[in-house]
Amino acid sequence: MDARMGISTRLSLTHLVGAAALTLFFASSGLAAADTAPVLAAAETPAAVVAAKPADSMLLAYGDDDIWDENGQIIKRGGAAQHMSMADEVAATPDPLEGWNRMWFTFNDKLYFWALKPVAQGYSYVVPERPRLWVHNFFHNLMYPVRFTSLMLQAKFDAAAVETSRFIGNTAFGLGGFADMTSDCKPYKPIGSTEQDLGLTFGYWGAGNGFYLVWPFIGPSTGRDSLGYVGDYFLTPTSYVNPWYWSMATKGYDKVNEVSMRIGDYETLKDASLDPYEAVRDAYLRLRFKKMND
Amino acid sequence: MKKMPFIIGMLVLVLAVSSVAFAGEAQNRLKVGIDKVIAILSDPAMKGPAKHAERERKMRVVADSFFDWHELSKRALADGWRKCTPKQQEEFVTAFSELLEKTYVRKLEKFNNEKVEYVREQVDGDHAFINTQVLMKDKTVPINYVMIKRSQWMVYDVVIEGVSLVKNYRSQFSKILSRETPEALIKRIKDKIRALDEGKNVDEVVGK
Repeated sequence: MDARMGISTRLSLTHLVGAAALTLFFASSGLAAADTAPVLAAAETPAAVVAAKPADSMLLAYGDDDIWDENGQIIKRGGAAQHMSMADEVAATPDPLEGWNRMWFTFNDKLYFWALKPVAQGYSYVVPERPRLWVHNFFHNLMYPVRFTSLMLQAKFDAAAVETSRFIGNTAFGLGGFADMTSDCKPYKPIGSTEQDLGLTFGYWGAGNGFYLVWPFIGPSTGRDSLGYVGDYFLTPTSYVNPWYWSMATKGYDKVNEVSMRIGDYETLKDASLDPYEAVRDAYLRLRFKKMND
Repeated sequence: MKKMPFIIGMLVLVLAVSSVAFAGEAQNRLKVGIDKVIAILSDPAMKGPAKHAERERKMRVVADSFFDWHELSKRALADGWRKCTPKQQEEFVTAFSELLEKTYVRKLEKFNNEKVEYVREQVDGDHAFINTQVLMKDKTVPINYVMIKRSQWMVYDVVIEGVSLVKNYRSQFSKILSRETPEALIKRIKDKIRALDEGKNVDEVVGK
């Protein structure tokens, strides 16, 4: 359930956005120094999170009898109750720019319903599902540098090797990546998820989210993930398509293709929630945390 | 080493069989529920928009007998539960379960014979945690169920890709209840249901 939405018009804005993200990231880490200090000390545990002080209402709720966390790991046994799962702490990432974020959330929401969704619907009406899956495979294969770099930086060499073999196999024998030839080839030894990016890598190293942030076009993010996004931009081959509007068009097409396979997910979330902004925020933070630990 | 694939195959088979044999009460009960839902969705006599109302009614009967709406609502409201009068609690459970049924039943309509795998079952006293995964065309979605034993095992939380239904609502409810009364919250849920019934475009109901 990818709650991200908006077309990727990262183009030349990216440098500006990157600078802004950097400034905000450091500004926030300065502000939240008191909170992050203990986390940085405990950075050797991979899944460290910013120990934001949870609201009392949250604490009480998690305390009663949650035996497992979201993935079925035991967090409570006997009397030694742990009040929150790690994901709960991540979900309590501060949102100091809430008003600003809500404005962009509404902007992205309109963008989805008025532009992206009609285009994706028209596209999926014309193009059957199977070719759309090929396009998905192609762009996924193309994003290999992001995954490889992130896995190497996380010292997950087995997973990086598997990704490399898949990339070579799919590119050479899968018509440049359109056919996912290697999807049935399972590694002998189980490896974690290879769907990694730089934001998740920073998280794996122990960096906290900092604060929650919604970007126009890009969608939900955090201080940490914004920084990662800038790095990912430079690792994305389609960023180097010349001239810039072709690069933008390629990314836009990738996005439309992705959305065409996910129409209805965002609608369900929005239909079902009383405060869609809050629902997306919670879902984004928890999903990212899960991906980081997969 | 030509026999290796055969040996591995046998091992897998033995493991698969044994995991079926050892699947406990909770998982079996969950499987019965999911199978019922799948049966309704893939029943050719129930297909088509004309049967929508009947399909929805049937699905809700199944959902009502497998979900512990009371426990689910209590956990979603968390601290707010004690701020409600018993009457409000009851009203809340009714409204909230209706909202969930409406929205998620609609989502399930898209079901296209995806396969459900039961990965792991853990039981601790009267609670159970069951990991499953749904195999979709381009990805596998992990869906976990948390169950509690009443007269029968009942589901009270569903975790999709690490996002817990109860906890996602908890953050929304605690935010709303920090500004408004429980009564206003119940009214919001009812308004939402009405808007969905009137078939309003989701695009018009942007929450603030």
